[in-house]
Amino acid sequence: MEIRSMNELVEVCERERKTIGEVMLMMEEEKSGRDKEAIIGMMEERLIKMKEAVDSGIKDPSTAPSGISGGDAVKMHNYVKQGKALSGSYISDAMTFSLATSETNARMGVIVATPTAGAAGILPGVLFSLHKNGDTSYKELVMGLFTASMLGYVIANRSFISGAAGGCQAEVGSAAAMAAGVIVELKGGTPEQAVNATAIAMKSLLGLVCDPVAGLVEVPCIKRNVIGTSIAFSAADLSLAGVESRIPCDEVIEVMYKVGKDMPRALRETALDGLAMTETGKKVKERLFGKKS
Amino acid sequence: MEFQSCFDIIGPIMVGPSSSHTAGVVSIGRFIYELLGGCPEEAEIIFYDSFAETYQGHGTDKALIGGLLGMDTDDSRIKHAVELTKQYGLCYEFSLEDSCLEYEHPNTTVVTAKRGEWIVKVGGVSLGGGLSKIFMIDDEQFDIRLSTSDDFSILAASYRPYLIKGPISEGS
Repeated sequence: MEIRSMNELVEVCERERKTIGEVMLMMEEEKSGRDKEAIIGMMEERLIKMKEAVDSGIKDPSTAPSGISGGDAVKMHNYVKQGKALSGSYISDAMTFSLATSETNARMGVIVATPTAGAAGILPGVLFSLHKNGDTSYKELVMGLFTASMLGYVIANRSFISGAAGGCQAEVGSAAAMAAGVIVELKGGTPEQAVNATAIAMKSLLGLVCDPVAGLVEVPCIKRNVIGTSIAFSAADLSLAGVESRIPCDEVIEVMYKVGKDMPRALRETALDGLAMTETGKKVKERLFGKKS
Repeated sequence: MEFQSCFDIIGPIMVGPSSSHTAGVVSIGRFIYELLGGCPEEAEIIFYDSFAETYQGHGTDKALIGGLLGMDTDDSRIKHAVELTKQYGLCYEFSLEDSCLEYEHPNTTVVTAKRGEWIVKVGGVSLGGGLSKIFMIDDEQFDIRLSTSDDFSILAASYRPYLIKGPISEGS
């Protein structure tokens, strides 16, 4: 079995009466020759590593070696605990967990790339918030990771998932799009609704450039992960309410590819333009690497 | 279809900060380690394009060296790989270039490594999400997919015949 498009994915799900996550699991069994339990076990290991990254990030006030990130997860965690957050518990917890993961990543701690390290905060943020606020079990979260990988698989093979290849729209954009689909599926939406949420989230991030200050996966990457979780929840809510993306998901992915191809090299993870080339961005680079730009 | 498995999307489990500029590069280094049957004594490393511009921020140098020293993507020693080269007896040199003529992609590297009497020149590209590819061994084109869930020692074994004997340096 091979899934080449979101259209095909929805068709297979409907024909086989399976969720997106179940279709991924079936395809993985077939392609890898591993048995189902082994595959689920490998995915469980990834979920646990994600949890460990959240747990260590949430209480670590230290800064990254660069000095330009770190400690914000602790601040956000305290703020949310005081009941001050305006966004509601699903989004504010997802923001906190996402910050914790991305700060752990910047410290060169162990994380799980979902689909990349630069976008590693979004899925754990969303998943552990679903667990905390909606009683979604770890078993269901593991199935959610199969859903996410199926959606990411189609995006990655039709377009790209790295900032260097296609800008931040490919990285945070893909992760938020995957997360939106997972929320819908874990909340009982149909495969069609999940793919619809994926399209809506991706559309919201089209054109986003990759312009990391001093080339570090910190500014603006960490906060883009955090905001990516809110976009994922908003897109999922729209889809679960029955709102459809006017442009089908496969066409949105195609646009992401074209826009990424047209994006100047200076805005694709080379740190040669955008936020990286602001007065402050240049100062940070000079302080860290002593290079005048 | 470069991406073949759910673990190409969810994974690898890795030390940060970048799957393409850190984890994928560890795999390229690790492939060379396995190809040579151990840690090289000498390595000349060329970083192109995005790698050349941002290697310091992403620890791409630490990642490649970590791989050459035999480390996996989730090895927390990668952070200190550069300091560990002396202990492992690896001498290395980096150079930076704009674009790679052999392969069009922003995340490319060409490594010439020597271990004992063997010398090999390997071209690698990091495709994103921790997935990489070896596109060249000694000026011959290849398409060897590297996923962190693969066993590189088995994978590299079939390419050993491509190794050429280099000039024997004194003392080896």
